[in-house]
Amino acid sequence: MTTTERHPIRGAEAAAKQVSPSTAPKKRKRISTAEKKRRRAGWLMITPSVIHVGLWTLIPVIATFYLSFTDYGIFEAPKWIWFDNYVEMFNDAVFMQSIGNTVWYTFWTVPVSMAVAVVVAVLLNQGFKLQKFYRTAFFLPQVTATVAIAMVWLWIFNPQYGLLNAMLETLGIPGQAWLVDPQWALPAVILVGAWQGIGIKMLIYIAALQNIDESLYEAASLDGASSIRKFFSITVPMLKPATFFVFIISIIGAFQVFDQIYVLTDGGPANATTMMTYEVYRSAFQEFRMGMASAQSVVLFAFLLFVTLISRRVTKEED
Amino acid sequence: MEVKSRMRRTASVAMVALMGLGLAACSAGEADTELNPDEISGEISLLTPIFEGSPGQDLLEDELLPQFYEEYPNVTVNVDYTTYGNLNEKLTTAVVSGLVPDVMLMGVGWIEAFADKGVLADLGELGLSEDTLKESYTDEIVEAGMWDGNVYAVPIMLDTRFGVARMDILKEAGYDSPPSSWEELIEIAEATTVRSSNGSLERAGFDMMSLDARQAFETILFSAGGELFNDDATAPAFNSDEGVAALGLMADLVNKYEVEDIGFTSTDDIVNPLINGRAAMGIAHNNLWTQAQEADPTVLDNLEPFVIQGEASGMFFGGTLATVANNSKNPQAARALLEFLSSPDAALAANEQRGNVPALTELLDSDYVQSNRFVQFAMENLDVAQREGGPSQWLEVRGDFAPAVQGALLGQKTPQEALDDLAALVQTAIDR
Repeated sequence: MTTTERHPIRGAEAAAKQVSPSTAPKKRKRISTAEKKRRRAGWLMITPSVIHVGLWTLIPVIATFYLSFTDYGIFEAPKWIWFDNYVEMFNDAVFMQSIGNTVWYTFWTVPVSMAVAVVVAVLLNQGFKLQKFYRTAFFLPQVTATVAIAMVWLWIFNPQYGLLNAMLETLGIPGQAWLVDPQWALPAVILVGAWQGIGIKMLIYIAALQNIDESLYEAASLDGASSIRKFFSITVPMLKPATFFVFIISIIGAFQVFDQIYVLTDGGPANATTMMTYEVYRSAFQEFRMGMASAQSVVLFAFLLFVTLISRRVTKEED
Repeated sequence: MEVKSRMRRTASVAMVALMGLGLAACSAGEADTELNPDEISGEISLLTPIFEGSPGQDLLEDELLPQFYEEYPNVTVNVDYTTYGNLNEKLTTAVVSGLVPDVMLMGVGWIEAFADKGVLADLGELGLSEDTLKESYTDEIVEAGMWDGNVYAVPIMLDTRFGVARMDILKEAGYDSPPSSWEELIEIAEATTVRSSNGSLERAGFDMMSLDARQAFETILFSAGGELFNDDATAPAFNSDEGVAALGLMADLVNKYEVEDIGFTSTDDIVNPLINGRAAMGIAHNNLWTQAQEADPTVLDNLEPFVIQGEASGMFFGGTLATVANNSKNPQAARALLEFLSSPDAALAANEQRGNVPALTELLDSDYVQSNRFVQFAMENLDVAQREGGPSQWLEVRGDFAPAVQGALLGQKTPQEALDDLAALVQTAIDR
């Protein structure tokens, strides 16, 4: 069945096009009336969504682009300054550092959490006794407020009383000041990000795993394939569409990391963990520079658009 | 103990409230023009970063506002609670949306920006003048609420930072009194620092990490005789020789004298290191006394406040001030609430709840102040205390101080480089 045949409206259009020329006027009129009703109903149904997207997405996006070219400090009307914000932004060492930190954070959190998630998903798809409990446990961080999670990690990372240093000490490894040492602060934040992202990825992978035809595994078993061979030759290839989906949403999520930085490090020490979103926040709410914050948001948007387009191109065949 | 404390507080509030009936127009209320409660009516909003959390809300809603309503029965107050951490967001969205609260409580250093941009009402036009305020507050505190020669805010409470020593630890090391100079501070800090056999720090000689890096630097800067800005607040002055010496001292305490390691304490610590003995000395907030009363009253006798003494006396004060929105639809009702919140009874109760320093000079003799050694010490030394802020761009740049200080402490930059880079940023903001 083609897309046109499946789609009720497009299907009707196609049917209308197939009407013979001699009978076309009469029939077109009759179908047109029905079509109008259908279209009206369709528009009626999507109107709330259109209004919602227009009000809460389209207008803010347009406003952001406009404000990025202005000097807008909330107290006075925006003043058009062309590309001044962009010039200043790309000469700002802290913002450039935030781009580097964000890319580095994404580079580590996305593949690590994806790799862990797929392994966990496979393990939790074996049908053992406490499977539901473990699935819930792994998914729990996803539905827990990041602020609460960050508070727990603050305790884990505490250099004096923290769990992590206590564990290391039992192994004879000296503890670190994880969140205040510039060498360790970003890795510590990455660890939290990777850990928190496992749940949702695991869920998507489990759903994808359950769609894999069992007969493939049965056939592989008959051929004497080992579990590892089955994993790499059947599971991983069959999870490809899900993997690309997870990859895209993970990258977008990683680029938008904010709350754990806000709670864990405040961007410090000495800007070692500041991210693009955190700089947007600082510009907007600490420096009251909405124009600059908008310009930084546009750059963030451009990054995400670029990554998404690249991914779309790579995954074109899969789509 | 909790009940007793609450009863004491309630009794104290009641007593002060009775006093307040007779002093209806004291302090800020000693205005040039009197308000007539019967003529004032309307609904007003209050944005407050203090009174947050259950105890604060209970105090405001169950004790203070009922007193206000008794005097102004035709006024309704809608309270919007926040914290200082989120006040920026609240005010930003309020200003952008045009829904500025009628009465806003904000910090020292905040007034300049909002007054400069016309968000705040000139209280002189509402009947409060600089001269009348200076009868009740020290000059420096009144000036924290002024901009361009006009009064825009009335102080309610102060947050001060000064040195605190654990005298039991100092005495063990052979010192009978807190340091009276930077040299002594270094000497005592070195003598009281304890490290384990593997070199890990067990007790800091001088703790600076459990305090915001900016405020710690400012306290040391003031003790070096330095200032944040020049006299007319048009250029940074913190990268002067005094500023470099101050940041140099902080960096040396960490890297040269090794009296504290980075990360040994943090602003997130639940118990202050001076209370649990993880630090022998440190820069602390005045509410450390209240914290110690709750956490471990046995250490109270050993906590000794001191002004950090360098070329000058170093003590920092911030605080909370009450303002009225310029576009308030009920300015007289807003003024009434402002006067009420800054009146002795309400201000005292609010300060007691937070362990803070009352801004009103006359409250030095109150039971609360006399029973709280740190608050008493702060009030007695307010003449040497200096505040942060200055230019109207202060809110824009204050967030840049901590990374600069941290950069110097971490050895990423020299103190001179860190402060010069920061000064360049600040100057750009001022010139913008």
